[in-house]
Amino acid sequence: MRDLYQRLGVSPEANDEELKQAVARCPNSALRQDAEAVFGVASHRQSYHQALETLNDIGQLRARLGLTHGAHWQGDVANDFSRPPDQAVSRHDELVDRVSHAVSLYNRVRGRRGFLLLIAAFGTGTGIGIAVGFTLSRVFAA
Amino acid sequence: MSIARFSPFELLLLKSRSQVDTAKLLLLAWVLCHRQQVSEGQRRRRLAQVSVHFRHGHELAPVMQIAQQQDLQAIQLAAEVLRRECSREHGLGVMHQAIAVATDTGELSLANHYILRFLADLFDVPPATLATLFQELTGRALTAPEDPSRDAYWRIHDAEHYAKYEAEQARQAEAARQQARQEQQRAEQARQRQQEADQAREQAEREKARQREQQHERERSRRHRQSHQEKKHNHEQPYRATPPDRTTRALAVLGLMPGASKLEVRKAYRRMAQMHHPDRFYTESEHRIALASARFQRIKSAYDYLMHTYQ
Repeated sequence: MRDLYQRLGVSPEANDEELKQAVARCPNSALRQDAEAVFGVASHRQSYHQALETLNDIGQLRARLGLTHGAHWQGDVANDFSRPPDQAVSRHDELVDRVSHAVSLYNRVRGRRGFLLLIAAFGTGTGIGIAVGFTLSRVFAA
Repeated sequence: MSIARFSPFELLLLKSRSQVDTAKLLLLAWVLCHRQQVSEGQRRRRLAQVSVHFRHGHELAPVMQIAQQQDLQAIQLAAEVLRRECSREHGLGVMHQAIAVATDTGELSLANHYILRFLADLFDVPPATLATLFQELTGRALTAPEDPSRDAYWRIHDAEHYAKYEAEQARQAEAARQQARQEQQRAEQARQRQQEADQAREQAEREKARQREQQHERERSRRHRQSHQEKKHNHEQPYRATPPDRTTRALAVLGLMPGASKLEVRKAYRRMAQMHHPDRFYTESEHRIALASARFQRIKSAYDYLMHTYQ
């Protein structure tokens, strides 16, 4: 399967009018016939678009997993849907990083638990004291 | 330092009792989501059926949901986990399950063609092995995926549309033919009328001639000769009225009308030169080659003259 948008030089979001113009401009008559068959009918275009999105996804996945030159990825598909490798982060490594970060954060919190408890107790005590003093002063003033 | 929260699939993986099985589940759910003509419940039941021996220990619904959202990052993570943990035999087992899940309603959908091939590449299954596996499981050969970017695909899959289109075309052609027929009839009628008029005129002339004949037999022969001469005269007059200058003649050699542009001249010259080049006739008799080279010479000198005068 080919990426007709790319071959016609239009964006996949182009509206019908732009597409029609691009198809009419196309110098290759075979490609023009194919494009007319696909884009001439709304239902054709829709199902073609779905297949296109799946292939785009798979192309990106392959690029990120280093499978762009796989044995099953050949011909028109490989020509039109292979993506250049972006700053491919391994998702698994990222997950491991994130987990270890969370663990260290948790441990740090646990290690300073006594200190934190003291601060919390002191804070609540002060708060209660202020509140009591405030109400008492109100009562005496009245 | 990443501040991003854990995605649903990451949480699922962390909670899972077996990460490999969770990853497998997601990929199988991805395949299931691209199967056509299957209801939501059927998909869920099929996934449950497949995952009987899995040891993931969590609900299936969130996996199904992630697969339906086409969450690329989750699928990438699952693929990475599987590639890291699976041995070759294990990979073949997953391929086995994926093919079974993808084909138990019959046809392999277009998206699944590509997904299965992606999984095969992921587990390092060569095309020959995949083909035999597919053949064994489904009893059919693994064909190349169809190509919906081609006209031929839609001729097969949407024959109705083409039938309608052709009927429309036939109707238009029929209308055009009828119109042409009508016009032809009209033209014929006009011709008949003209002929009748001509006949009438001729008759009138004949009448006059006969009268004249009766009057002067000798004069008639002389006049007849005169009229002949006049006719000839009339025939030659248009040519003589506009004597063709050299430019017009040169254009005529190239098959063009007077007033052709330089570009047209060049194009016509190319075409004619290709057609009449003596090299084209080298397999044929010398006489023909000589004729062709004379023609070519004529074309070339006409072109040279035109290029010279047009500047």
